[in-house]
Amino acid sequence: MGDDKKTEQELIVSRQVLSIPQRFSTGPVMGRFLRELRDNKRIMANRCPQCGRHQLPPREVCALCRVEATEWDELGPEGTVRDFDVVFYASPDPLSGETRKTPYVACWADLDGTQGDAPLWHLLDAPDPSKVRPGLRIRAVFADQRKGSMEDIKHFEIIDEPSRREHGDRTGPSEPRP
Amino acid sequence: MKRKRRNVAIIGSGMSKFSSHREEVNQPEMIHEAVVEALDDAHLTMADVDCVLHGNMELFEMVHQPDMWHVIGDGAWGKSGVRLTTGGTTGITLACAADNIVASGLHDLVLAIGFEKLQEGHTTGGITNMADPLWGRGLQTGALTGTTAQKVIDEFGEDRAKLAAIKLRTIMDENAMRNPKAHRRLHLDREHLKDYADTDLRLVGELRMLHMCSQSDGACAVLFASEDKVDQLNANPAWVVDHVTVHREETMIFSAEMSTHRAAAKRLFERNGITDPRKQIDVFEMYDPSAWWGLDWLSDFLLLEGDEHLKMVENDEVGIDGEMPINPSGGVMASNPIGATALVRVAEAAMQVRGAAGDHQVPKPVKLALASGFGGTLWTILMLLSKDKPQSGATTHG
Repeated sequence: MGDDKKTEQELIVSRQVLSIPQRFSTGPVMGRFLRELRDNKRIMANRCPQCGRHQLPPREVCALCRVEATEWDELGPEGTVRDFDVVFYASPDPLSGETRKTPYVACWADLDGTQGDAPLWHLLDAPDPSKVRPGLRIRAVFADQRKGSMEDIKHFEIIDEPSRREHGDRTGPSEPRP
Repeated sequence: MKRKRRNVAIIGSGMSKFSSHREEVNQPEMIHEAVVEALDDAHLTMADVDCVLHGNMELFEMVHQPDMWHVIGDGAWGKSGVRLTTGGTTGITLACAADNIVASGLHDLVLAIGFEKLQEGHTTGGITNMADPLWGRGLQTGALTGTTAQKVIDEFGEDRAKLAAIKLRTIMDENAMRNPKAHRRLHLDREHLKDYADTDLRLVGELRMLHMCSQSDGACAVLFASEDKVDQLNANPAWVVDHVTVHREETMIFSAEMSTHRAAAKRLFERNGITDPRKQIDVFEMYDPSAWWGLDWLSDFLLLEGDEHLKMVENDEVGIDGEMPINPSGGVMASNPIGATALVRVAEAAMQVRGAAGDHQVPKPVKLALASGFGGTLWTILMLLSKDKPQSGATTHG
């Protein structure tokens, strides 16, 4: 007896599930950005006093110029799609553990008024994902119940057909629209 | 430009078998396989090793100090050591650190170990938690994105772009079929490129399951020695010529204006007299997490213009017997134990220089080999290895 056990390795796998409540301090700069979203439904970027580029979401310093980014501007809430992802892979939302409904669309939005390379990354509500293209005009939709987080922007929504603006032109406000 | 105090060479390397499930071994046992193979390769024992560098991405297995647990498998008991963890670049950061430590004169023989046992954690969850906790985590889906596919399709047309990406994937599989350590060996067939491109499971946009790298378990170990040691041991060396690290901000903008790949390549080539990388470099082990990134990044790493990178794939230049072989090992699309992956690139480049790559040795002579590492959120490390000893000490890391 025991011979069978000797020839076959017993593979025991120890199963463990971690669930970790976390609390992240925002600091005053990101704190202002989140407060403006929550209280005033405004998307605020800060700007480098040296090179003039916006940072969205805002960061304490301009990493390129190594100076504090002290100026603030409201951007959007309209803008254009720069890049987008149509996601078919049902990955769990890491913040909730819930599996997301697919396909969904995420986009990098160049908000009107942005100077420099600062697209905002967020979800795009696109009834037909196959119609999403760079240059598509979009607008931020705010959540009814806001709590000072990125989810205070519920998603972006499409506001018209692709504009004639060239992909890559991300300076200056949009043309006045009918 | 400052000079190294002394030359450094890779004199041995080892890898565990890569697989989706190494349930028959625990972490120390898996690492032990790689360490033993590296020591055997260099005809050494652990008694010869001065210092052990150890790295992975702890968000995957969620083990706080794996280097402590692994001492029984890696032989580091009582030795000097450092644990490094820099995300996807961890493996090549280990190689850079080993080079720096030996070049400085601090230690003569350093063992660098990278590992990951992705099956023991949650890969996409781990990668997603590297996003900025204040704004990125709700959106990121691990390393999956279709933006590069869209960019290449927009620039070169859908049919040509999709065919080039899937052909590169198939060439990687042909290489993996020659590499006994590779995880995914799929028997892909060039007859069916269009079927693969059109019908394979979609993950994000035009990024499909076949295009994407694997989730693997595996370990890699590489021995770095000083010039004196190389002579004393009469070792077969691959000399470390130089390495470059380029960081960017912690933002996940795939279409950002600065490519850290291009910036790193420019810096590395300029200070090492490489004016025509496609002619001067004999083989390139690229950290290619997907076929779309591999295709697009060829252009950045080799400083190409226009559609040259597509032509390199279309003309079979990147195959194992081509003029510029990419990943004769099968690359990251075949095997991706993440904390080991970038060290595998260095090990494989060194094996090509040392003529030790067996069935996946490129047929042409290899004098100069390039290895790259990539980390999300978008930064780059490059390492250059040579058959010939660098003259009077190579350049330092800058």
